[in-house]
Amino acid sequence: MNVCIKKLMVWLSLWALVGSALAEPFAPGGAIGSQTDDGYNALGPVVEQPFEFPHNVHAGQMGINCMYCHTYARRSAVSGIPRLDKCMGCHKLIESVKDKPRIKKLFEYWDKKEPIPWKKVHDLPDFVRFNHERHIQRFYFREKRSIRETCGYCHGDVASMTTARRVKALSMGWCISCHQKEHLENASTTKTSNGPNDCWQCHK
Amino acid sequence: MSLSNLIKNWSSLRVRRPYEGQYKGKDYKWAMVIDLDACTGCNACTTACYAENNLPVVGKESFAKGQAMHWIRIERYWGPGDHMTEEFPQRGAQFLPMLCQQCEAAPCEVVCPVGATHHTPDGLNSQVYNRCIGSRYCSANCPYKVRYFNWWQYPERAWPNPLELQLNPDVTVRSKGVMEKCTFCVQRLTEAKNRARTENRLVADGEVTTACAQACPTSAITFGNLANEKSTVAKMWQAHQIKLASDVQEKDDTVRGYRIFEDLRTYPSIVYLEQVRDLEA
Repeated sequence: MNVCIKKLMVWLSLWALVGSALAEPFAPGGAIGSQTDDGYNALGPVVEQPFEFPHNVHAGQMGINCMYCHTYARRSAVSGIPRLDKCMGCHKLIESVKDKPRIKKLFEYWDKKEPIPWKKVHDLPDFVRFNHERHIQRFYFREKRSIRETCGYCHGDVASMTTARRVKALSMGWCISCHQKEHLENASTTKTSNGPNDCWQCHK
Repeated sequence: MSLSNLIKNWSSLRVRRPYEGQYKGKDYKWAMVIDLDACTGCNACTTACYAENNLPVVGKESFAKGQAMHWIRIERYWGPGDHMTEEFPQRGAQFLPMLCQQCEAAPCEVVCPVGATHHTPDGLNSQVYNRCIGSRYCSANCPYKVRYFNWWQYPERAWPNPLELQLNPDVTVRSKGVMEKCTFCVQRLTEAKNRARTENRLVADGEVTTACAQACPTSAITFGNLANEKSTVAKMWQAHQIKLASDVQEKDDTVRGYRIFEDLRTYPSIVYLEQVRDLEA
């Protein structure tokens, strides 16, 4: 009898483990808030930026295309963090917000002639090769989806955040789950294909 | 791999290879030709490979133990004659650059217990470092002995600060306990394919080459796409009457091309052109 219960317990705990392992990559936003002492949450390290950049104002209220600042996304593996003169190109001319604390901070860096030390939020392991160009070319330029949707697959709805944070798992199983789906090849066709299934496409 | 995907794409996933016309209509099949008549054994290819692929220099002691990490090595063969007593035999040495042959039926792939090495659609034997557990079975099964194992944590030893700044960011720095091998400079291939894809075309012949082929001063190494019949490599394979999917080549005596250990039925992707020697003199 005792053995029987023990066996049952082992099976139950095993199933619980399997269940949690399966559920984890697709965990909803609830777990994100809980941060451990070493600066990690369920999705990876929590990154503190030098100051709060309001994506919600730029991409949300103003409706600026992500690629206006993240210029390289459409033609390179990395999307790029804009240079300070990109910020200043507009903000030199926008008088109405010049007294706001965040803009003052921006001008401080400009006067010191120093770049803003932005931290990387969506940092993949070194053995992974992710290419922005391929995804942007496919979904934004060929399939003509909106930029908010295209970038949002991996970055979440950045237009509703201030500084960007990780909201997707960015794990291999999560990538594969999308690569296995059928996607339209371009906007004017019903032909579909899925993402590459070969290790060396992403691993290097 | 979900079950539905497995069932749906069964025919494409259940690969039968090699067979004649396997790459017909496919975009890429990377292959190489090495002209041994042009090779001078200068080791420029090895040096280029070290620089391109973040290979650690292991030092004299490890080298003596056979732990060197050169993905491409120059093998030296002395010709006929009493080379044990003569320091420089009359005919001199013959050189043969040995690198991963990217076999179509690779002995290394089938023995990996964790599937860290597999065949890509481009016909390369891939090695996924983060999946490798270091069983070294693949190396034991490789007839060419071109797989190299990281016996030590090399990065700190081989590239002390600030030497790590010269590492290639497109290639992983391997850590202790994983197997590694020649990749045909897959980082370059990926980059070229990406560029071509955006421009809605295929990679042109000569657009991309490996580091060893690029560095070779006598152009002994030719690299290209065998699936493209007009490429230099495909023409050379044809001229030397080598067929990818056969293990006994029916060819004239006049052509120099051969593949190493063909009788083992590994179906390598590298053709060597025999050195022309005057055996009468």
